[in-house]
Amino acid sequence: MIANFGYRPHQSILEKIDPRARWIFAFCMLFSIVLFWDLRILSVFFVITLIQFFVSKVTWQETKRAWIFILVLSSIMIFINTIITGVETVGGTIRGGTPLFSLKIPLFETFYVLTVERLWFALTQYLRIISIASLFIILPFTMDPRLYGVTFKGLGFPDKLAYTMDLAFRFIPTIARDFNVTLDAQRARGFEIDKGKMNIFQRIRRMAPLMVPVTMNSILAGEDIANAMDLRCFGLKKRSWIENLHFKTGDFVLIGFSILILVVSLYLRFGLNLGDFWMPGMS
Amino acid sequence: MQTPHSPLPLVVENLTFRYERRELPAIKNISFSIQPGQIILLAGSSGCGKTTLMRCINGLAPTIYKGEMSGKISVFGHDVTQLSLLQLSQHVGTLLQDPERQIVASHVLNEVAFGLENLGVPRLRILQRVDKTLEYLGIDHLKYKETFKLSGGEKQKVALAGVLVMEPKLLLLDEPLASLDPASAAEALKLFKRLAEDGISILLVEHRVEDVLAIEPDLIMFMEDGEITYQGDVKGFLEIADFSKVKLPAEIVAQRAKSIQFPQRTRSFEPDTSSELLRFENVSFQYRQDLPLTLKNINFSIHKGEITAILGHNGAGKTTLVKHALGLLKPTSGTVYLDGKDTRKMTIAEAAHTIGYVFQSPTQMLFAPTVEQELTFGPQNLGFSKEEIQKNVDWAIQTVHLEGEKQTPPLALSFGQQKRVSIASVLSMKSRILMMDEPTAGQDYWNYHSFMSSILDMPGYDAILFITHDLDLAIAYANRVILMANGQIIRDGAPEEVLKDISTLEKAHVLPTSLLSLNLKLLPKTKKFLRAELLANFI
Amino acid sequence: MKKSLWSFGTREVVFAAIGAALYGVLSYATNMLQIPGAGNVAIRPAVAIPMFFGVAFGPIVGFISGILGNIIGDLLSGYGFWPWWDLANGLMGFFPGLIYLGIKNFKDTSDILKAEGMVIVGVLVGIGVAAISELWVSGVDFATTVSMNFIPSVTTNLVNGLILVPILMVAYSAIQARSGR
Repeated sequence: MIANFGYRPHQSILEKIDPRARWIFAFCMLFSIVLFWDLRILSVFFVITLIQFFVSKVTWQETKRAWIFILVLSSIMIFINTIITGVETVGGTIRGGTPLFSLKIPLFETFYVLTVERLWFALTQYLRIISIASLFIILPFTMDPRLYGVTFKGLGFPDKLAYTMDLAFRFIPTIARDFNVTLDAQRARGFEIDKGKMNIFQRIRRMAPLMVPVTMNSILAGEDIANAMDLRCFGLKKRSWIENLHFKTGDFVLIGFSILILVVSLYLRFGLNLGDFWMPGMS
Repeated sequence: MQTPHSPLPLVVENLTFRYERRELPAIKNISFSIQPGQIILLAGSSGCGKTTLMRCINGLAPTIYKGEMSGKISVFGHDVTQLSLLQLSQHVGTLLQDPERQIVASHVLNEVAFGLENLGVPRLRILQRVDKTLEYLGIDHLKYKETFKLSGGEKQKVALAGVLVMEPKLLLLDEPLASLDPASAAEALKLFKRLAEDGISILLVEHRVEDVLAIEPDLIMFMEDGEITYQGDVKGFLEIADFSKVKLPAEIVAQRAKSIQFPQRTRSFEPDTSSELLRFENVSFQYRQDLPLTLKNINFSIHKGEITAILGHNGAGKTTLVKHALGLLKPTSGTVYLDGKDTRKMTIAEAAHTIGYVFQSPTQMLFAPTVEQELTFGPQNLGFSKEEIQKNVDWAIQTVHLEGEKQTPPLALSFGQQKRVSIASVLSMKSRILMMDEPTAGQDYWNYHSFMSSILDMPGYDAILFITHDLDLAIAYANRVILMANGQIIRDGAPEEVLKDISTLEKAHVLPTSLLSLNLKLLPKTKKFLRAELLANFI
Repeated sequence: MKKSLWSFGTREVVFAAIGAALYGVLSYATNMLQIPGAGNVAIRPAVAIPMFFGVAFGPIVGFISGILGNIIGDLLSGYGFWPWWDLANGLMGFFPGLIYLGIKNFKDTSDILKAEGMVIVGVLVGIGVAAISELWVSGVDFATTVSMNFIPSVTTNLVNGLILVPILMVAYSAIQARSGR
């Protein structure tokens, strides 16, 4: 197993933008999207996030796995919510409605009713989830992991916390290698992950021969690392960072745009009380 | 204080230190001093107090390792107890034993800059100083590389750069050669010498004394049980030093071992070519189609009674070869036979009946709450019966002499004991070939030899195969050497045959040692290669 | 040795980073080993890592191991970034961390039981927060989120944590003597 990040330079405009501005954009969009259930407003967000996705030049091949994962998961949830349980959705916005078909449920003497409204609501859910997903799915592929620490430092996180991120990234390849060595070592002792029929408890216990050595080895290494850091004065005073970020005009434009979206969204929702569930034919 | 104008880099007077949680002091009454540009070699076996002494000098003790300290340490005239870690770091730099555990950043540039960032030095000044340091060490080409992907020698230079960039005038080096192959070790030593010539004082902790002699240390100290038992020049040290504890040049050992009775081995190994355990037939391997071949047309067999050393530099393909023997990898072309069966047609668990593997670092495999359970793991996986498992486990525990530790958690044992548990965990599977990866790595000189001798005296397996870059290990213990370079076997045969030709060794990037030259000189009398102590009878 | 519940010095920075990297890599790796999932929630034995790091090194280390580890795991798998599930994982490491000062002996049964109790609290609170967020973000109703998110996630995380945290604690008690800091 090789633990690799998906990041590679895509030569897109997106990568020229300061990562801090991109995080601000992503979060402003997230908080705006979740305010609304109005298909018309959500479509605007959907278009913006899709534009970002295509501008990023991230390929289908790279994100296939993630998309399938998210679509399958949300489809199951939406299916169950629409067909089976979803009676009380968002404070009962769509209680009642136009029946599409109904099914008499034996024994209970009630009718199961699937309404047109429920289907429109399911579509709205998809739109929201896909917008949020395309907002965040591209991040790992377009953001240099080297910049995470300094980015969060720049967003106001304390030195030590920001450095923890850099340090965690430093350990990833080492731990991945150690895991491989341990896996080989245990296999050479006849260990097989999937050995015949086992119940779930035995299956989990079977992870111990892999997890214990890797974890304990890392903890033992941790002490040396902490010494090495103390000897080089870590955490004794405010540190400087050689990776540095500069906001450029474009970054300010993006941040301004993000804040504008959030402010407008908040005003629409709470000032004008707009944005509840909407479907064609509703006023 | 000799000269009030330029106080000495380091003066230690009557230093005693006891850790808070221990009853006895770890070091007692240590006194010495270093002149500017001097190299002092501090030798001793593991647990002698070397590490504690270093911690006292660099300030980790008692700031972080709590304890009781008496006596006095001054660094450039300042009492260390009066200095903060921040101030002390401007004078003293420390290189820890394992560069892998010293490097904190993912990329070389960030790693070297780390200390200066912590000091809050402005960004542009840091970049200038980093460039200067990388250039000084001749590693500017590594600047944008990922630290994980560097070779062992490169990692150490980068770790050293991260220390030197803070411009310390006193350098503490903790077993800097331990994790390096011989070629990188020789290079590292030359570098240390240059640093000293440029005025940096060096305290070098190392038990590979022979290697360090190449750079002519100004003073040698020997430490035992927390006390310095020798302090003086090299010549005097070679006369009195305990050659079972530190590695001395072979001629010296042979001279001095004359009076010593050396115990005979209890088990003898006679190769029996009629009994074949493992065979590689035209094996080639590549990890991916677009990558070059890692193994090129490998052919050899392992027979009962053979102690085979697979010798080669890092990256020669030794580990890939071992993984084939275990069935962890299957050849791209050609076939590996274990006990006559094609490894492609067997599971790794089935392969374990024939071949057992002891990994380099025991902590990479130990997981069970007791030694007994640890040893049960293998045979249980192989589907042995309950009685058989108990029998094998009891026998394996006795064989490695750990009867007293049956119920101890393996992780709580010392490194040497853990190493023995990992051997026992293979013995308990009754594998016929015992295969080891750098069996002596991480052990001090005394344990190095006692460990190898005790394995060779153990019953219960038919052949030994070990991979190493340590030429002396092959000379002292193998009855067959397979020399590898660049994925190929370039020589295979008795050690005297394979190793006699210096040009072949050069081709395999193996550096000749004093033990090799002495053995070659005495070969007409000895007829075979021997370890230095045994050569005494032939001089 | 143990100073306070909330100290965050070099040691804590290092162990938080190690915990996060371990959690991220191990959940990615065990994912690769194709452990069959129950329902839609994959069984991730590695979730025991942030819980154990909380117990062994305190709530902040546990929290960072969980939140950052989950982010790393998702980065490695290419799943993007899911803030509310990251938070849930952080909380699963945070709550066991609250018992940190109460653990005297890592292989003592009563100390292990204390840790297990906090593992349960952490899972309930953490997954609860995520399930409520899901209510808000995906717009599903309460019954859906309980049956689809809360129950399966709580079950798998609890089973993993309750089995593996004690194993890790016992192993850690053996190496504790070797670390002198």
